[in-house]
Amino acid sequence: MRRCLLVLALAGAAALGACAAPEPWVKPHERERLADPIMQWQGDVLSSKHSQHVRDIREGARGANGVQGGGCGCK
Amino acid sequence: MTTTPHLPRRSLLGLALLAAAAAAGASVAPRSQAPDFTLRQIDGPNLRLGEQRGRVVMVNFWATWCGPCRIELPQLAKLHDRYRGSGFLLLGVNIDEDPNAARALAGKLGLKFPVLLDTDKKVVGTYDLNAMPATVLIDKDGRVRHLHRGYREGVEVTYEQQVRDLLKE
Repeated sequence: MRRCLLVLALAGAAALGACAAPEPWVKPHERERLADPIMQWQGDVLSSKHSQHVRDIREGARGANGVQGGGCGCK
Repeated sequence: MTTTPHLPRRSLLGLALLAAAAAAGASVAPRSQAPDFTLRQIDGPNLRLGEQRGRVVMVNFWATWCGPCRIELPQLAKLHDRYRGSGFLLLGVNIDEDPNAARALAGKLGLKFPVLLDTDKKVVGTYDLNAMPATVLIDKDGRVRHLHRGYREGVEVTYEQQVRDLLKE
């Protein structure tokens, strides 16, 4: 019984090892397709960027408009 | 007396946890030997990292779809131009699926250092730095000395200092 428990504990530890370091599902170097401009939510990226800039200036508010950059995980 | 039989099991469990943690975090680390690779140059023969012993090598992983890489590349080109006569070699490892995209950008930026093609992303996967761009500085003995994840404006000053220090060794 005790051996069984020990084996179970070891198996559990090995399984938890995979959770030791949280990793992104798609690694930064694998984001080529995700970084494509076609993956943006907006239909017209340039005009939406422009209108967002106008909103930033007029309302003095920024952020909460999605993720900046090409989604390549660049810091 | 009652606690002594449990000690080996606890230590076993501890060892198992340590081993699991070590296996999960396995990647390139400073002072370790840089994983060797051979890659095709964008407009030339194959180039092997292992044959560059005796030179300070900077390996920069970049892609045309990575914004910060585009900002960083001209800075790296300046570094290469300044120190290539002193035993410094910069290798730009491009990880685009389409080598033509890399060729076009390299031509546009006028890159003079060797640009290598890692189209199947095997080498970048081996180094596994979890960031783009990623830069590895390797000393004359082929050991990894500095890792840089991502690009921040002004980091080229740090690069230059580290290259100078490694060249002096």
